[in-house]
Amino acid sequence: MSESLVQMEGIVKSFAGVHALKDCRFDLRLGEVHALVGENGAGKSTMMKVLTGVYQMDEGRILYQGEEVRIPDTRAAQKKGISMIHQEMNLAADLTVAQNIFIGKEPRKALKLFLDEKEMNRQTSILLRQMNLDIDPTTLVSKLTVAKQQMVEIIKAISYDSQVLIMDEPTAALSDAEIEELFKIIVQLRAKGVGIVYISHRMAELKRITDRITVMRDGSYIDTVATADTSIDKIISMMVGRELFQSDKTNRLKDETSESMLEVRNLNRRNVLHNVSFTLRKGEILGVAGLVGAGRTEVARAIFGADPLDSGEIYVHGRKARINGPHQAVKHGIGYLSEDRKHFGCLLEMDVSTNATLATTGRFTRAGFWMNEKRMNEVSTQIVEELKVKTPSIKQKLKFLSGGNQQKVIIGKWLTRDCDILIFDEPTRGIDIGAKSEIYKLLENLAAAGKSIIMISSELPEILRLSHRIIVMCEGRITGELMNDHLATQEQIMTYATDRIG
Amino acid sequence: MNKTTVVEQKSHFAIKSGLQQLLVFGSLILLVIFFSIASDNFFHFSNLIGILLSTAVIGVLALGSTFVIITGGIDLSVGTVMTLSAVMTGVFITIWGLPIPIGIIGGLLTGALCGFLSGFTIARLGIPPFIATLAMMMIAKGLALVISGAKPIYFTDNEAFMEISLGSVLGDLIPGFDIPNAVLIFFIVAILGSILLSRTIVGRYNFAIGSNEEATRLSGINVRNWKIVIYTITGVFTGIAGILMASRLNTAHPSLGAGYELEAIAAVIIGGTSLSGGKGTILGTVIGALIMSVLTNGLRIMSVPQEWQTVVVGFVILLAVYADILRRRKA
Amino acid sequence: MRKVWMMAALVLVVFISACSSNGGSNSPTNAPESTKKPSSEATEKTEKMYVPVISKGFQHQFWQAVKIGAEKAAAELNVDITFEGPESESQVDKQLEMLQVALDKKPSAIGFAALDSQASIPLLKKAKDAGIPVIAFDSGVDSDIPLSTVATDNAVAAGVAADKMAELIGGEGEIAIIAHDQTSRTGIDRRDGFKNRIEEKYPNIKIVDIQYGGGDHLKSTDAAKAIMQAYPKLKGFFGTNEGSAIGVINAVMEAKAVGKVTVIGYDSGKAQIDAIKNGTMAGAISQNPVGIGYETVKAAVAAAKGETVEPAIDSGFVWYDKSNIDNEDVKAVLYE
Repeated sequence: MSESLVQMEGIVKSFAGVHALKDCRFDLRLGEVHALVGENGAGKSTMMKVLTGVYQMDEGRILYQGEEVRIPDTRAAQKKGISMIHQEMNLAADLTVAQNIFIGKEPRKALKLFLDEKEMNRQTSILLRQMNLDIDPTTLVSKLTVAKQQMVEIIKAISYDSQVLIMDEPTAALSDAEIEELFKIIVQLRAKGVGIVYISHRMAELKRITDRITVMRDGSYIDTVATADTSIDKIISMMVGRELFQSDKTNRLKDETSESMLEVRNLNRRNVLHNVSFTLRKGEILGVAGLVGAGRTEVARAIFGADPLDSGEIYVHGRKARINGPHQAVKHGIGYLSEDRKHFGCLLEMDVSTNATLATTGRFTRAGFWMNEKRMNEVSTQIVEELKVKTPSIKQKLKFLSGGNQQKVIIGKWLTRDCDILIFDEPTRGIDIGAKSEIYKLLENLAAAGKSIIMISSELPEILRLSHRIIVMCEGRITGELMNDHLATQEQIMTYATDRIG
Repeated sequence: MNKTTVVEQKSHFAIKSGLQQLLVFGSLILLVIFFSIASDNFFHFSNLIGILLSTAVIGVLALGSTFVIITGGIDLSVGTVMTLSAVMTGVFITIWGLPIPIGIIGGLLTGALCGFLSGFTIARLGIPPFIATLAMMMIAKGLALVISGAKPIYFTDNEAFMEISLGSVLGDLIPGFDIPNAVLIFFIVAILGSILLSRTIVGRYNFAIGSNEEATRLSGINVRNWKIVIYTITGVFTGIAGILMASRLNTAHPSLGAGYELEAIAAVIIGGTSLSGGKGTILGTVIGALIMSVLTNGLRIMSVPQEWQTVVVGFVILLAVYADILRRRKA
Repeated sequence: MRKVWMMAALVLVVFISACSSNGGSNSPTNAPESTKKPSSEATEKTEKMYVPVISKGFQHQFWQAVKIGAEKAAAELNVDITFEGPESESQVDKQLEMLQVALDKKPSAIGFAALDSQASIPLLKKAKDAGIPVIAFDSGVDSDIPLSTVATDNAVAAGVAADKMAELIGGEGEIAIIAHDQTSRTGIDRRDGFKNRIEEKYPNIKIVDIQYGGGDHLKSTDAAKAIMQAYPKLKGFFGTNEGSAIGVINAVMEAKAVGKVTVIGYDSGKAQIDAIKNGTMAGAISQNPVGIGYETVKAAVAAAKGETVEPAIDSGFVWYDKSNIDNEDVKAVLYE
């Protein structure tokens, strides 16, 4: 049981000078389920990507079955028997189960010219039987349930004679019954001596299925503990255990009676949002916490009209609003700053001025279509000055600005529009400390000026520092709401954020 | 990133970008010089005018295509919509006997309507541009045949119509300066296109959509409607090309025009507009179209067999796109 | 709701079957002949003969005229015909598809103008095996399968054009050709017929350039202009089909060289006729498209009946210029 399969020691990895991993270690034994936990951005994925050859470590060493190895690419990892099952399915939906499992290593016949479909199906049914799975090898993957698809992925990994299986949030899309099926398979694999790395945010699951737990935080290794000897609370406190930004909370509390700016009632979207209701008041910063995939961004996009809703009502200034697209949301005075700045925020190839005035170009026109370039330049110059954007000129293309400065320009886009309701989704993601505190200050000033702000963040200290009130989401539901007073703690939020229903 | 590095990168880039513009123009000049040396008959006023005249139709089509290509879309229907516009103009003028200006407006509206329909199917029904405009290409082709009864429509009774392409307003003003109107119209349309693209809100949104459609949508811009507007603009340009062609041939010929869309797209690409959208200039397209016709004309004057002419044009397209890729890699 | 759909579907099926058995009951006249068809079955006894005619094109007026001739013969001989052709003369594959479909309909005989004779041989063999007689028209097929070929002898006709050219430019000088195609039979025959005659008989005339415009008016115009630019002393131009000839006319007019350059065209059409009337074009060769269509159907019907047909039927051609353009016999072969 205690024989070591993988040992990673002193792993250092940095991206563009930022340390993603600092002197991390991780060890996996034969026939063990080892959980890897930590907040978003703690370095779990990076660590596993180093192990599977996606990234090259800067320093450190990896011992595999007792020998030091180099893993230059994913193929090498696969050859050694290290496989990763990703959150997003990597199966070809229009191929059969057997075709998917044997993709790239199809049995051939007749001088290797023809595929031996029969042999392939035969081998597949053996694999399926070994795992006690009742799936026909010739079924199309698209016809399978998500859980069955995941099983197929696992079998595909096993078919490479994998010794190490990394599962990234394997239960995220599964129902309870399906989770049971998955656990059965995990138990079988463990019995065969396969080492399993289990990445999950679901504390209850960890307790049930894992043998040991390694906690990471901010790119550092914290501790490895035996599951049986540890409580969930202990693990959560290890995960969030950094120093709190102690900020003055006395004026955090906002008058409950101030005017309601935005109210949403029973927002529903199949498999994504379930009966989401909350109110945003004037001059308030409402923090939205939760783990990745909890539905926070989805709520924001739904309010902004970027994604369709199945049902639910949105009230702006107490009046019911019909929002069928972002252009209508903007008319109601709602602005949205996307979490994915590069893909959904910036026009990287366009200049600062264009980006800063994009939401307002329509206002700076003569005769409805003639652009008033002069006014636009004035406005963008003003934004650059107010937000202290570091750029040589307003004609600089956005792609040459740093992340923080890009973000300021995009925020500036909504400031020129003078929106009453601002939804900031991860406003400080990928931004250096200096720019971060400037953005914090900006948010506070905006709230003080009477703007209402929804701030989605995965960084709990940020939520606790800025919000007047916090709602916590898990799996598309609001699982908790708390005033940000002295009683609000990171632990409390994490408990709500991992509070699965059903 | 501190301020100094930003500044350095900027000037660095400005030089690169300027170089690219010069490069395309430079290759045009080089081609002209090359052909002038290779053949005594190339560099004559009349031949240069001939080149410009032969650029006009494809050039105007290319100008229109530039708009949709900048959005990251494509319009495969411009060739046959051009034909349909020409045929409709013919119907209005010679069969219905409407005055020439009304007929021209009818032709432009035909192009605009086709563009609008393409835009509508793309933006509202979510059909990919390639497929939607492929369908429009066939619809326009069929309609042109149906409406004309598969017969050419002649404008022989309307001499004034021919003047649109082949008359010379400039020649009347300045004796000896006999530049055909078609060339004049080509340049006017280019200037209008350039203004539209750089000075108006349509142009701004055009680039924004091509640069990052989702970000543009999330900035509260009604991307769908603007796309329809942009395809309609392309349609109007296509209509102009149709009228230029009809008046130059004095005929609306229902089976011409197929394949012109590819030449137009080639001109746009040679001119440095990126097929992935967000980048491009009208000046580039004008130069791209000129490069195509200088090349064809020059090779013809040198009596290079036609088969080889096509091969050469193919290589030029490859070169142009590769130059663009190189530039982007360095940028 | 569902019933309505079923009804609609039923109506459609009945309608289609009614169409396909078209004429089954109301034309019992030529029943005895059709029994000779090897593929025919007892049920086909009462059907009219069916002759699909597959041309090289459809839109072009030339083919429309061929169609008129074919329909005329069909009416006279009381047979059913269909007339189809691909949209452009480069779509060899589409034409073969049409031929395949026509064969599948088990026709009495087939009229066929091959875009690419080599490519069509396998299908023609199929026709032969099924006992379906094939009559080639317009250009020949390099095969002995077609029982007969109805065509203009393009090479001879182009030779006549060469003689006229020599006569008009005084037997010496530079001339050029705008041809419509470098691969089709007509394109090759007309170009070579003209070129060979010039080379054999007129040593003082030099063909300085041959360019191809694909029959596209605009491209032919630009090509002709470029040639005139390259050879300022050019005295004559030969355009090998309607599109090419019109291209040449446009080029000569745009270059203001009317009278300086002698233009000879091929085929007819309003633009060429007008150009001859106003002197821009010296004259042109016209095939007899109506005759081609007529003779093709006539030969096909004869072959289906088992009669012997001549292996080569010349549909004839006409030289027309200002002097004879209004004669009735010339008018009859021209189309606008």
